Amino acid sequence: MSVLARNNVVLSGAPGAPAMVFAHGFGCDQSMWRFVAPAFEATHRVVLFDHVGAGGSDLGAYDPQRYGSLDGYADDVVEVLDALGLGPAVFVGHSVSAMIGVLAAARRPELFDRLVLVGPSPRYVDDDGYRGGFSAAEIDELLETMDDNYLGWSAFIAPVIMGNADRPELGEELTNSFCRTDPAIARRFARTTFLADNRADLAGVTTPALVLQCREDVIAPPEVGRYVHEHLAGSELVLLDAVGHCPNLSAPDQVVEAVTAYLARVPSR
Amino acid sequence: MSRPADDAWDVAPVALLRLDGDGTILDANRVLVEWVGRDPQGLRLSDLLSVGGRIYWETHLSPLLHMQGRVDEVAVELRGPDGRVPVLLSAAVHAAADGTRCVDVALSRATERSRYERELLAARAAADRSADQLRALQAATASLSRGVGTDGVARALVETAVTHLGAAVATVWLAAEDGTLVRRATSSGDRAPEGTDVPDEPWAPAPRRADDAPRVPAQPVEEHLAGVVVVALGAPDAPAGTLVLSPRDEPFDVGVLTAVGQQAGLALERARMFDQKASVAHELQHALLTTHLPPDDRFSVTTEYRPGVQALEVGGDWYDAFLVDDDVLAVAVGDVVGRGLHAATAMGQLRSAVRAVAGPDVGPAALLSRLDRFVTQTGAGFMATLAYAEVDLVTGHVRYACAGHLPPLRFRGDGTHEFLWEGRSTPLGLGVDREEAVAVLDPHDVLVLYTDGLVERRDRPLPDGLHALATAGRALGDGSVSDLVTGLLVRAGDVRDDVCVLVASWTPRSS
Repeated sequence: MSVLARNNVVLSGAPGAPAMVFAHGFGCDQSMWRFVAPAFEATHRVVLFDHVGAGGSDLGAYDPQRYGSLDGYADDVVEVLDALGLGPAVFVGHSVSAMIGVLAAARRPELFDRLVLVGPSPRYVDDDGYRGGFSAAEIDELLETMDDNYLGWSAFIAPVIMGNADRPELGEELTNSFCRTDPAIARRFARTTFLADNRADLAGVTTPALVLQCREDVIAPPEVGRYVHEHLAGSELVLLDAVGHCPNLSAPDQVVEAVTAYLARVPSR
Repeated sequence: MSRPADDAWDVAPVALLRLDGDGTILDANRVLVEWVGRDPQGLRLSDLLSVGGRIYWETHLSPLLHMQGRVDEVAVELRGPDGRVPVLLSAAVHAAADGTRCVDVALSRATERSRYERELLAARAAADRSADQLRALQAATASLSRGVGTDGVARALVETAVTHLGAAVATVWLAAEDGTLVRRATSSGDRAPEGTDVPDEPWAPAPRRADDAPRVPAQPVEEHLAGVVVVALGAPDAPAGTLVLSPRDEPFDVGVLTAVGQQAGLALERARMFDQKASVAHELQHALLTTHLPPDDRFSVTTEYRPGVQALEVGGDWYDAFLVDDDVLAVAVGDVVGRGLHAATAMGQLRSAVRAVAGPDVGPAALLSRLDRFVTQTGAGFMATLAYAEVDLVTGHVRYACAGHLPPLRFRGDGTHEFLWEGRSTPLGLGVDREEAVAVLDPHDVLVLYTDGLVERRDRPLPDGLHALATAGRALGDGSVSDLVTGLLVRAGDVRDDVCVLVASWTPRSS
């Protein structure tokens, strides 16, 4: 199976225009970008994909060892970009995919033009002098809940999702997407995500980056966004007047505006 | 939609909340306040949930509400004063009177349902485990059945341990004749994480107690420190050996390992019988090929026989060398069609027949005609091929004939070579006129007779094989025939035929 099929890569936008890749975070799939990505189709070749294990990706390609660390996901991003051959891309990563983009850009800088990191966190667990937002005990509780007590986590991995009477096409699409989430893979992805410590990797990035941070976010609190900005040379931090971890859904207009302004302000390399 | 009357709101049989567009709680009924034991106003809904629920709300539920406006029957847990409260959450988005986005949430208790679901999940986990066990066992059994010979089974065992049984490192120790355990196979170890190496010892089962103590039955699987296990191969009381495993990440399944140990015991028993049979077959072949030549400083004959890879079946290749009279050396290499005992028997008959019909006044062509008669009368060796040559040890004249066989190869002292393509006729048993030819050797020339297994391979044409032999043969002056054969076969791969090679050199006595 080709890399593009493995990651369910979907292309849209202007052929021949600079590439803009959107990477979804933990929990959902590429549909997370449905209110943001279309705004860039006039100016960019827009690339959407699903991480292996999510959405329409090839679940058979899921290898617990490869995806036991974020490096495996970063390898996938590099492979997708190599396979597309669209030149240096603007990489927009949400949540854990922000760090996946950081790893990939450190490894293959020539593939990345600029980075947009939405709600990034290099480490979720508090550490000496570092506040990640979760105590080690809380993450343990989360992983324990997921590992031992199936309920409380993965019973809602497959919730009964009702279609929206006004937009039935959304309901069906999401139901499909969510039903495809294998609970065992979701648990492993959570473990990989929430136990990762990629703080040291920030120093290896030379690509210009925009950090988008919500004013309130229990998953990646503002101080974490600031930490990323301070440790990422040549990065900019923009605080969104939004609450929650998914401004791409709750405040898509702000996200589009901030990214558009950044791309206009910081020239392509 | 306006907030319901206070009574209905507070006495509802479910917890009700209204959130603003950001998920902050605007209002909650009394049921919720009782469940969470505090006033939730101003908090966000996710603050009331367990960590798992909080992350799930932020990463799944909130996005869903944004995309489709509604979620139903999602199981989460509230953090209450007396511990967690399992609830089912339903939520719908609607526009408030001022046009802003609101979310109405209903939570109903799910304690009983969650207990029931836990039981279901436990049952499913047990079923998954059974299926995993079955798959591992099937894979192990299939892998063991493919192992050929004791070493093949030992290798199959360590491979299956690493690929299917969750081992980081696997080692097979088998009992030698004196009862000591000898290491026979170890996994490649590429996958072994640091520090999980199995100690370099056989980890034999603990020594038996003295006879007067009650007998403790040996365990089929013994667990040691650091998760290392020792699996008895065959009956735990008298195992054929042990399989020593260190775990990759999860503890081993003792039930599966016990069954694999039993299967491996049977496979080793079969392999041992196979090894014995193979050994008998090869001894038989060796005995049939024995050649006794009187010591003579005018010639030297070196031979090499290599059985094919499917080792049990003996083949029909043979060589022979004998003196036809005091000054004539006969050399022969032949190949009977087919494999197995039938071919080996025919080979033995034909080889004896060559010696019987050869004589001072016969010569190669007449010898082939006599062999034709023999084959027709006995039926043994029909379509066999044969290269036969008689070397005059005084003059160096060689009379030779090939019945359907590959041409003899002559190397000269200066390193040049020549295939003797003349004297050719059909394989034995077809009763045609037989041809022979003559070549003249120079002193120290070397004559090479061989069977097709040395030069024929599926992946290249015959001329390339002959060329490879001619090239490699130049080194014969320095190296041994064995080295030559090994060098030519090293790239032949797993599917190769028997090989017979005979090398004769001539050194005339100085007059």
